[in-house]
Amino acid sequence: MKISNLNIYLILLSCLLGGRLQAQRVTGTIYERNETGKKSTLVGVNVFWGGTSLGTITDSLGKFDIARSAKTNRLIISYIGYKTDTIKVLAESNFDVIMKPEGQLGEVVVRGTSSQIDRLNPIQTEIITTKALAKAACCNLSESFETNASVSVSLSDGVTGAKQIQFLGLGGQYVQTNVENIPNIRGLGTTFGLNYIPGTWIQSIDIGKGAGSVVNGYESLTGAINVELVKPDAREKLYFNAYVNNFGRGEVNFNVNKKLNERWSTGILSHASTLQTRVDNNGDGFLDMPLYTQLNAVNRWQYKSDKMMAQFGVKALYENRLGGQVGFRENMRGTSQAYGFGNTTRRVEFFSKTAKMYQDKPYKGLGFIVNGLNHTSDSYFGFSNYNARQQTLYANLIYQSIIDNTNHKFTTGLSYLLDDYNETYKDIHRMRTESVPGAFFEYTYNYLDKLTLVAGIRADAHNLFGAFVTPRMHLRWQPFEHTTLRVSAGRGQRTPNALAENYGYLVSQRWVRFVDELRPEISWNYGASLTQTFHLFEKHWDVVLDYYRTDFQNQLVVDTDHADDLAAHLYFYNLKGKSFSNSFQAELNGLLSKRTEIKLAYRLFDVWQTMGQPVNDVRLMARMMIPRDRVLFNIGYTLPYDKWKADLTVQWNGKARINDPLQSLEATLDKKSMPILYSQAYTNVNAQVSRAFRKFEVYLGGENLLNFKQPNPIINAQDPFGKYFDAGQVWGPIVGRMVYAGIRIKVKD
Amino acid sequence: MKQLTFLFVLVLGVVFSTVASKPGKEKEVKIKTSAVCDMCKERIEKNLTLSKGVSEAVLNLDDKVVTIKYNPKKTDEAALRKVITDTGYDADSQMCSKTAHDKLPECCQKGNEAHGHH
Repeated sequence: MKISNLNIYLILLSCLLGGRLQAQRVTGTIYERNETGKKSTLVGVNVFWGGTSLGTITDSLGKFDIARSAKTNRLIISYIGYKTDTIKVLAESNFDVIMKPEGQLGEVVVRGTSSQIDRLNPIQTEIITTKALAKAACCNLSESFETNASVSVSLSDGVTGAKQIQFLGLGGQYVQTNVENIPNIRGLGTTFGLNYIPGTWIQSIDIGKGAGSVVNGYESLTGAINVELVKPDAREKLYFNAYVNNFGRGEVNFNVNKKLNERWSTGILSHASTLQTRVDNNGDGFLDMPLYTQLNAVNRWQYKSDKMMAQFGVKALYENRLGGQVGFRENMRGTSQAYGFGNTTRRVEFFSKTAKMYQDKPYKGLGFIVNGLNHTSDSYFGFSNYNARQQTLYANLIYQSIIDNTNHKFTTGLSYLLDDYNETYKDIHRMRTESVPGAFFEYTYNYLDKLTLVAGIRADAHNLFGAFVTPRMHLRWQPFEHTTLRVSAGRGQRTPNALAENYGYLVSQRWVRFVDELRPEISWNYGASLTQTFHLFEKHWDVVLDYYRTDFQNQLVVDTDHADDLAAHLYFYNLKGKSFSNSFQAELNGLLSKRTEIKLAYRLFDVWQTMGQPVNDVRLMARMMIPRDRVLFNIGYTLPYDKWKADLTVQWNGKARINDPLQSLEATLDKKSMPILYSQAYTNVNAQVSRAFRKFEVYLGGENLLNFKQPNPIINAQDPFGKYFDAGQVWGPIVGRMVYAGIRIKVKD
Repeated sequence: MKQLTFLFVLVLGVVFSTVASKPGKEKEVKIKTSAVCDMCKERIEKNLTLSKGVSEAVLNLDDKVVTIKYNPKKTDEAALRKVITDTGYDADSQMCSKTAHDKLPECCQKGNEAHGHH
């Protein structure tokens, strides 16, 4: 009600103003330029005077007619998917404006911050651009968040090299990680998935905090990360990258993009990497990182015309890992000669995206996405084997249009998800087939660029867990030019994959027990954020404050707190009690000088869970491995066109709750409550220097420059076949200082 | 710690020596080019900036003149003009390299109307 009242008031106001200034009007036509360079008009473009409520939209011929404002001469032209233009209107009264699609010239930007906050997006979204990705070697997605304060990445154990995200105080499985809007890192992919997207394939990463859009499904509990890959029609025809570090890890990436004709283009992204040097710097008898080989490629075809756009392609991945004790060789598998870890993953995927465009109605669109995959992962941890297979089919049909005018948009559609899992761990067999048809509707109200309301709802019929409804809401309000406020709320649901998500805990002699029949995890997420832009000595600065809370109605509880004289335990059970996460973040970023960019961020996590039900020791406990405090500082210096670039990142991680099977055992024997143990706080420093030449770029960098190593990352490393061996209690770096160098060669047209 | 300090000094040294070498005996030259659009601007500026001895190159699309700041000890005007002609554009009266010009996308070649741009 409030909104419509406000709206009427503003329309009245603009009519009044319009009447008074009728003699002095500004008119014009807004165009876009298509692939072939032809101009066509844009309908429904927002045209308004900066800092005022005086605005209009273009008609069906792309024309606008707006009264002059007494307050300002800055005319702002904005349209979703295009770069916002600001025009200084002096004596002229008629304009033709050609709008540029967003992102097209993104990599040309010489100055400006490399990580940005999307100002117009109703969901609080941070964008990591190629520029920010180049701040670190960025071998793969797991290393792409180094200069981002919202996402942190840590090792899941001391043996396998698997990495996990921490986001809003919770694990990566609660973030929906999409590749080009197709859910990608989920299911079995959760284990090593971050290593499966090479950095050179990535064009940009969007990190949306809080409840995501209902269009992409119901699985985003804490947020959504979307990775855009390099497109076949990208301006880079060839991209070659080679990387090597002091431990002997070598990498080669090679991308080729080719425009076949006006409409068709194709691209291949490929990656090969390996580490074959046995490194044991901490002398615990275990490899600090596993030996591995990865081969990974995507081939995509793209068709673009005025009426439709289509893309399809295949992805294939093979990875082999070998870790454990230094003396372990593959032929010792299944013997007690040495403790070994091995994993072989094979993954094949196909995807297709088709979109129909309506030339005379650019706000209208029909899209269809299909994705299918087969993922097998065969592992062994000492004597324990874990074999898993996942087959998934995902389809999403999306229709988008407007109600009356472009201030009222809607997106609606149907989706279908088929997941088939088949896992065997020791003598535990787990099979699950999920079949989930769904429907969604999302309404977006846009008032100029000042206010956006998104209200979405979806209904899904789950074959195992019944039908459920997922409502989500986002509101963005820009009361002043430099101030943006956002609030969001929404429900999320997902089916946990206990073993794949807690892979690191399997590198132990723990007894794995499913105490309950696992139910889906259900949470509500609420959030609010404030983005304030200001100018200091004529330089642009941003301050972002945000708070998010995630409340679980049900959650998979992973309990490693208990041990008795028979064994240390790994219990999986449903939440009985409370589980919540509070996340607060304050971030300041801006330009210190024309060429020096700086970022300072503080993050606080307060995450609690009721645990201990299987041993009748029920308590509210801090969530494991989550440091309460984290500080990030980044400074970057860049000369024009990246001729020289230097970057320094300092991260301070506070202490996190951990446990130790031996201390758990002691507590059990003494009939005491479980001990509460904490890790140390530590600082991680990374730096990189790069120099660009006309045809190539070289870089040299270092990670963990302070050479911090977690003392005893593997508990009972001297007795890996003993009852209380545990490599899953890792909270810090294991390997120590790392130095790397690389080259990037790009051929553009 | 020693190694770390060394690395720090190295990084800072590299940065500051680059910064420090900029002022002093820097020269400026203006060269008229045959640039057409934003893509041309980027191409010329980039190739010039990344050439030896150049600290900054800014092309104004209104008059097609590129303003180059350079260190005369490391490069000279003739070399700068050659960078422009090798990129596929005219530099003052000097004609562009034909092979480079023909490789440019159609919209960037000579004789094309300027792209609409505000």
